[in-house]
Amino acid sequence: MAKVLEGPGMELFNKWGIRTPRHVVISTSDQIESLVQSNQWMRECKMVVKAHEAIGSRFKLGLVKIDLDIDQAIATAKEILGVEVQGLVISQVIIAEMLVHEDEYYLAVKSDREGAEVLMAKFGGVEVEDNWEKISRTHVEIGEKPTDEQLESCAREAGFDGELVDKMRKFASRLYECYDNEDGQYMEINPLIISPIDGKLCALDAVIMLDGDARFRHPDWNFSFAPEFGRAYTEDEKQIMEIDSRVKGSVKLIEIPGGEVAMLPAGGGASVFYSDAVVALGGTLANYSEYSGDPPAWAVEALTDKVCSLPGIKHIIVGGAIANFTDVKATFAGIIAGFRKAKQEGKLDGVKIWVRRGGPNEAIGLESMRKLGDEGFDIHVYDRYTPLTDIVKFALKGEG
Amino acid sequence: MSIVATKDTKVVIMGGVAGVNAAKRMAEFCYLCNRDYNVTSFVYPPDAGKSSEIPFGSQFLSIPIYKTLADATENHPETNTCLVYIGANRAYTGCMEALDNDKIKFVSMITEGVPEKDAKLLIKHSKKVNKLLNGPSAIGIISAGECRLGVVGGEYNNLKLSKLYRQGSFGVLTKSGGLSNEIMWLVSQFADGITTTIGIGGDAYPCTDFVTYLELFEKDPQTKSVIIVGEMGGDLEEKAAEWYAAKPRRIKLVAVVSGFCQESLPKGMKFGHAGAKEGQHGEGSARSKSDILKKAGVIVPPTFGDLGNTIKQVYEDLKATGQASVVEDIPASQLPDLPRKVEEVLGSGDIMVQPLLKTTITDDRGEEPLYCGYPASDLIEKGYDIPHILGLLWNKRLINDKEAEVIRRILMLTADHGPCVSGALATIMAACAGIGMSQSVAAGLIMIGPRFGGAVTDAGKFFNYGLLNYPNDITGFLAYMKKNHGPVPGIGHRVKSVKNPDRRVLELKKCVRELGLRTPHLDYALEVEKVTTSKKGNLILNVDGCIACILTDLGFPNETLNGFFVLARTIGMIGHWADQKREGGKLIRLFNYLVNFAVHRRREAPPRK
Repeated sequence: MAKVLEGPGMELFNKWGIRTPRHVVISTSDQIESLVQSNQWMRECKMVVKAHEAIGSRFKLGLVKIDLDIDQAIATAKEILGVEVQGLVISQVIIAEMLVHEDEYYLAVKSDREGAEVLMAKFGGVEVEDNWEKISRTHVEIGEKPTDEQLESCAREAGFDGELVDKMRKFASRLYECYDNEDGQYMEINPLIISPIDGKLCALDAVIMLDGDARFRHPDWNFSFAPEFGRAYTEDEKQIMEIDSRVKGSVKLIEIPGGEVAMLPAGGGASVFYSDAVVALGGTLANYSEYSGDPPAWAVEALTDKVCSLPGIKHIIVGGAIANFTDVKATFAGIIAGFRKAKQEGKLDGVKIWVRRGGPNEAIGLESMRKLGDEGFDIHVYDRYTPLTDIVKFALKGEG
Repeated sequence: MSIVATKDTKVVIMGGVAGVNAAKRMAEFCYLCNRDYNVTSFVYPPDAGKSSEIPFGSQFLSIPIYKTLADATENHPETNTCLVYIGANRAYTGCMEALDNDKIKFVSMITEGVPEKDAKLLIKHSKKVNKLLNGPSAIGIISAGECRLGVVGGEYNNLKLSKLYRQGSFGVLTKSGGLSNEIMWLVSQFADGITTTIGIGGDAYPCTDFVTYLELFEKDPQTKSVIIVGEMGGDLEEKAAEWYAAKPRRIKLVAVVSGFCQESLPKGMKFGHAGAKEGQHGEGSARSKSDILKKAGVIVPPTFGDLGNTIKQVYEDLKATGQASVVEDIPASQLPDLPRKVEEVLGSGDIMVQPLLKTTITDDRGEEPLYCGYPASDLIEKGYDIPHILGLLWNKRLINDKEAEVIRRILMLTADHGPCVSGALATIMAACAGIGMSQSVAAGLIMIGPRFGGAVTDAGKFFNYGLLNYPNDITGFLAYMKKNHGPVPGIGHRVKSVKNPDRRVLELKKCVRELGLRTPHLDYALEVEKVTTSKKGNLILNVDGCIACILTDLGFPNETLNGFFVLARTIGMIGHWADQKREGGKLIRLFNYLVNFAVHRRREAPPRK
């Protein structure tokens, strides 16, 4: 899943006829005065200013300010830009017109195996979490579109009546078009409100998850995806993502500050069992990593370099199942090169390395790992006869 | 017995390099199991009409490549299965084509990064046409002893270690490719091995779910137990639990689910495959899935690490109830080995191959070429030059600097001799006719022979003969030459004479004198020249003869002497070719007035007899 920030998300909504508040995204305070000249609404409306970054709980962190006049909005934008939060410097703010409203509604489209579900509620905001079971739902099969009757009855079931039923039908139908045509996975409007300006429905917020794998058929997706876990990507994570995007196979890295067990396992499946084993034995993960699909040795070396650089680690788990076609000798050559570099830089002092692997050229690959012991590495190497996750047990509970 | 992939499976593979790699792994499996090869054809438009070479034991099979799937199944009507190895942007179209093909009953898609919408549309269509579509992102399917689809099972040795050449009692279903291998290995160690293993792929919406395959396993009498390796996210594990609990099942179901670590991770952080994502309200978490599976009566080991013991226990129970019996293993010695490549066997010293040719000058098997043992970089570092390399490669000798200086001058003086001589003219004519460089230069080189530039070798040969046999008898030598060979090669010039000496010869003579080299052949030739020029002014020692004597004096083997002229003049010919190209030289045709048309005058042809 790929998260889209509010600004580009609203652009995508507008493209499909979904109304949003008027807004601008800025990345430098120099632009504000000129923007005010160009956008009449900025001179006439009250405004909301928000940090335009993938940070959770923005309101609590003071990164959202409401009910601002033009001068206050300019001052707030200047204040927020450049602030450092959770290791991230705020580089963009979104300034939107503030729409005073009474009622809040909820509308979403959510992908499932058979197609998608349209969700409606005659309440919005924080009430949604607490009243999940009261949300009205209707299912749309893949390749089909929701019928007018279907959407209208869903709206009625949610408690809408009068002309609101018709408005909800139209609005939901547009959201579905947007979801369906833009390879959406999840689109949520909360709150959905009635604009005080013209009485029409308007999306005050845009939560948009797109299918990153479909990017190849959307040349107009001119935005980059935002991280989904409430913090920005670190420099090392970005570098590995960049490598991942241009090599055969994959290399992945997510850092978890404070952990003691660094992970360098192979395979999208096995890597999670290794992480489970660490957690089950009371260990703390310093990262999630994974390489698979026979990536080039230099990419694995780059990943190794980042994993060895994680602060305060005590163990590195070089685990892996029996590979189908990933060459153990070649990928281990990359890991070994990374280890040697890290050792020279003093990053592996007091760090124990645990290896278990099988697959093409396993004997040669494991032997070259074993030989690192002669170079002064604290390394423990096991082959296919040792069960997959036992090295985690050896690391955390003392060698078997 | 087995499911989906059987001994009757015949395969067409859509895709290029990745597909061919899979086809090679599949051939290894057929070879191990002593079965005929099961890939009938490839579909790959860029190479349509060609064929792929697939090693099968020590043979090479030629498998045809077609432009469309319809072409492939028309030519190989026995084909019933399609493997999709094409990119994510075309995989949807490829799979639709396969689903709509009458011959194809089963499709498996390895393609990663397929948009979810495409996968969902494919699920809908496969249901409509009532066919199974495995994947996307699926490593493949393997039925022990019967059929391998894709690279699942890994390298040859692993097929043997995991006893995939014969049937056991366990079915395996995984989302992860690497783990499918791991489970097969566990099942071969702790139990009697597998019947069929299916990697369904780790995407959010695998086109065929666990339940569909469980139904098939339930109907396969050989399969006594099925192991599912699940992941958090989606609801395929929950559906499997529901299926298992719905009524008494013959097969014993074992399952492990990954993703417990999620509970102690920062909110929103997700790992692993695309499909591994938890719902907003805890549904689809590893814990919730494990609990639901346990409740349905599925055997769920506490961790992945306990899976081996669980499998062992299940196998013991199966044996105790007489459902499974001990399967005799084939001793490793009776299983065929893959033929090794010549390079590998030679390395082990088990065989000897009579070499086809021998070289004594260059060895390029290491990081850089060795010229008679000297690394090129070492020679460069120590200041050696082109003439030294020439000495090494032509005479296997590291020459000294004086000798190098002579060679350098020979090359400089003979590099070109204008556009009118045979060699340059031939090159120029070719260049002007639009011919490429190597062919044009070759046309010029062809001219080098007895009358043009090619007298060096012969001159060296005969002056050497004279020096040995007529050391103090020039007249005797000339008489011998006249009687047996004709004019002395290296003596005589078309335009140069005693009064109009060849500057190049003067230069070379001066050079060897200055360097103080010992030149018995040159001295002898100059004695010969004294006699011949006394008869006729243009019978001088020409440049070929002079070079020949000096090089023979330096100890170069006779057969290499023409090479100096060939090498030097190539420089000039390349220059002439480039010159004509640059200047746009026009096609050359001789003028009529430069030809004497000494032919019969015009006449009428007689009737044909």
